Amino acid sequence: MNKVVTGLILYLVGFAVFHFGLFEQVILKMEEPGVLLNRYSYFLLFVAYCIGFNIILKLKPPIALNGLIVWLLGAYFYKVVLFPPIPWTLLITYMMLWTIGTFLYISQDPVTFAEFRKPIVKTVVGEYKVAQYVVFIALPLLVGFATYKSLEPSFAEPVELRTVHPAPPATTKVHGKSYTLEGLQNPFRIDEQDNYVDGGPGGNALPVEGKFPFLDADKVEYMKSVTEGGTIFFENCHYCHGDQLNGLGMFSHVFNPTPANFIDPGTIAMLRESFLFWRVAKGGPGLPNESTPWSSAMPPWEEHLKVEEIWKVILFEYWYTGWHPRTFDEESASGGEE
Amino acid sequence: MNPIISFLKYSHKEEDMLTEPIKTVRHFLIALAVMLIVGLPSTLLAQEAQLPDQIQKDKLELGKRIYFKRCVWCHGVEGGGDGPSADRLFTRPRNFIQGTFKIRTTDSGELPLDQNLIDTVTNGLPGSAMPAWGSGVMGGRVLSEDEILAVVQFVKSLVQDRDFADEDEEVYVQEFGSNPWGTSAPYHLGVPQEDIDAGKEVFLKNKCFECHGGEGRGDGNPTMKDDWGFPIFAADWQQCWNFRGSRRNPYDPFSIVRTVSTGLNGTPMPNFKDKITVEDRWKLAAFVNSLCPRKKIDKNANKPINDFLVKSKFTKGPVSTDFNDPMWQAPDDDMKIKPRPDGYTGKKNQRWHYIALAGQITRGQRNFKPKVDNLWVMSNWSEEEQAVYYLVEYHNRFLSVDPAYPDAVAIQWPGQLEELFGAEKPYFIYGDSKKPVDIWKANFMVKDYKDTAAPNPNGYDIDVSVKELVGHGFDAVSEKETPGGVTVVNSKYHQGRVKIMFKRSLTTENPDKTDVQIPVESFIPISFMQWTGWDKEHDELMAISTWCYTILEPDNPASMLYMPPILGVAFFGFQMWLVWMTKRTRKMAAEGKVK
Repeated sequence: MNKVVTGLILYLVGFAVFHFGLFEQVILKMEEPGVLLNRYSYFLLFVAYCIGFNIILKLKPPIALNGLIVWLLGAYFYKVVLFPPIPWTLLITYMMLWTIGTFLYISQDPVTFAEFRKPIVKTVVGEYKVAQYVVFIALPLLVGFATYKSLEPSFAEPVELRTVHPAPPATTKVHGKSYTLEGLQNPFRIDEQDNYVDGGPGGNALPVEGKFPFLDADKVEYMKSVTEGGTIFFENCHYCHGDQLNGLGMFSHVFNPTPANFIDPGTIAMLRESFLFWRVAKGGPGLPNESTPWSSAMPPWEEHLKVEEIWKVILFEYWYTGWHPRTFDEESASGGEE
Repeated sequence: MNPIISFLKYSHKEEDMLTEPIKTVRHFLIALAVMLIVGLPSTLLAQEAQLPDQIQKDKLELGKRIYFKRCVWCHGVEGGGDGPSADRLFTRPRNFIQGTFKIRTTDSGELPLDQNLIDTVTNGLPGSAMPAWGSGVMGGRVLSEDEILAVVQFVKSLVQDRDFADEDEEVYVQEFGSNPWGTSAPYHLGVPQEDIDAGKEVFLKNKCFECHGGEGRGDGNPTMKDDWGFPIFAADWQQCWNFRGSRRNPYDPFSIVRTVSTGLNGTPMPNFKDKITVEDRWKLAAFVNSLCPRKKIDKNANKPINDFLVKSKFTKGPVSTDFNDPMWQAPDDDMKIKPRPDGYTGKKNQRWHYIALAGQITRGQRNFKPKVDNLWVMSNWSEEEQAVYYLVEYHNRFLSVDPAYPDAVAIQWPGQLEELFGAEKPYFIYGDSKKPVDIWKANFMVKDYKDTAAPNPNGYDIDVSVKELVGHGFDAVSEKETPGGVTVVNSKYHQGRVKIMFKRSLTTENPDKTDVQIPVESFIPISFMQWTGWDKEHDELMAISTWCYTILEPDNPASMLYMPPILGVAFFGFQMWLVWMTKRTRKMAAEGKVK
């Protein structure tokens, strides 16, 4: 019995040191985890510690305790260590598999299985008197409480799914003129490949970093359009899309769906400028039903802006975020045949 | 002027400035820095004057590059606070030219330390358009520490009217003491009530209410102007997440102590350094802080997390129209953060729902400067009366005195709920041509009220007229020909807070199919609109929420009373059976009948 207590204390102390000391203070704060020194290797060290002290001290823990520790280590790994965090449905699936695995470990041969059953049977038949009373009174109470909770009506906000980037129409009519979106170009994007900066070799993801754009005499024409676009953006758009274009403007938290974050690689970086033109010109009311047009706060900007102003705002958004609009070269447009 | 040309012009001027080495000044500064470092401990203790941090000229080039990408849009080419966004913002962006900075640790009227400006750039100014540039919220940290230091140097170089190197610009860095209660972020709970009460005495003695109002909603004085002649309001202490100097830590009393000690340069907020002792300033801060409801704050938006579901609580008998009735009582605090007080008599789980509002900047005449940015909503419904009640509360510092522009608040519903399929809803701004909305609008004027007079401590009665509107689009709103019988059963304006209680029967005769028919136990879209008459808001020039849901919760089922014991007893029986089985198996094993 003393050995079990010693083992439990060592488990608890080891876990406290690992979780509250190492994990929360060191591992979570690591800026760039290395190949060797990352959260998984630290976790393996902790597992090695658990195995190690049992062997060194010759504790020979009962199989029930071993099973419990194995199960808990798995739960801790899936819930805390594994990154990125997994949704709870997946967690339950993993833990079911882990539970089955633990059970297989316990029942690997009749001896260990019998040993595992022993404390349970002793509790049931009343050889462990106190444990029997506690378990037999607590469990029915728990069942009653769970029944009460499940019968109590509770209501959570309904979840609504929504298509963020719906398929655009083939053509759109803005200010009385019809535009075919396929192949539509931003008239203010003078250089298709954004070579506005003689930066490093191989082009620069952020065309303005490294060189002060407004002093670049060669690019005055381009920067003039960007500046005018920025002026329009900061008169109209920043309330929702934010001063940093990250969708965190001062009104952004009010709306559902939340305003688009242009910094995110999943928005303007993967869209064509013609798509943006359509979305900006037609706004929320121009969306198809699967994109919940009724609650989008995006104005149909054709009501407030001229066509060239829309193009300039789009130019500005790409300039500020450093993204390049998605394009299709000749090859992929013709089906990728060489 | 063409912005490009002005950018170019400005940058040339900037270069001239850079190529002007003043060696003697630099030597003097180095000597001074050495002296400062040597004499640092005594400097801190005795609050000696010191020169403000000097402009680090080697950082200006980088700072300028950042400024002209990130800051120029609001703060302007020369730092005059006149960028393209400025005219459509309330509060306007800071004008740097005069060297007037609000949030400092230096004495009132003095220049700031670098660290003060760094903190402002890093954390942004909550409640304004100034975002956090170094906080690492969603979208990542935008500027690194070096970049923030550099842009701060450049901002300092934009100050024209004052000189950071001038000997007359010595600053006194204030001592604020430390939090006497050792409370901790995020909610800073646990300050003893007697210190809060003592803080209230300080509040009364120093007449803080003259600007901030009797309950701190900033409803004291509508005539204030800042140094540049723009209108400015006192802070609403009950919405501490909008405190500009809160450094994204809205419940920290320290920021209040700092503001009271240093004042806010450029605004009517004076400093109380010599009038209130440091100990009393902390107590005052505790009082101010105690007024702000503890809500979970969205780290990205710096505002309380929106409640998208308004729960209407079941009542068997009639619903009271008295604001003080227990069925309308719920603390402002989130009960998970701050438990209900002892002797709480209200309904179980009754609560205020926080509904965020934004200016309607989408269609028609757009409202860029809404004065109300949230509503608090509570609801009960009565089985006996077959009626639903919504109590809407919000803070508004000043109400209309012009009957042509009454204040108003409205609840918007889908007009033909039964026609909607799935998640479908009418357009959130007054519906659309196919799907109409039903709007319950309460227009109101406050009786015997004058915005410039001292507020009546007993509050004001309100003249309400309910208009029921049907909307087919923001430009197609009309009054119903056959109203559905919406009434406002109680209303009050007290210490900067409006309370309006709406009532309507669940179903109406509805001959024109314009009234929402409200089912029980079903999610119904609902949204809110608000008009500030004082700002001449009207029609689509308003504040608006997005679509939320409301639900009329059913009564608890009777099975809740008998099912738990039945299942508990059944489970106990199962356990007994298990014991009997185990014992029998053991006995048989002992007798050798089984192995």
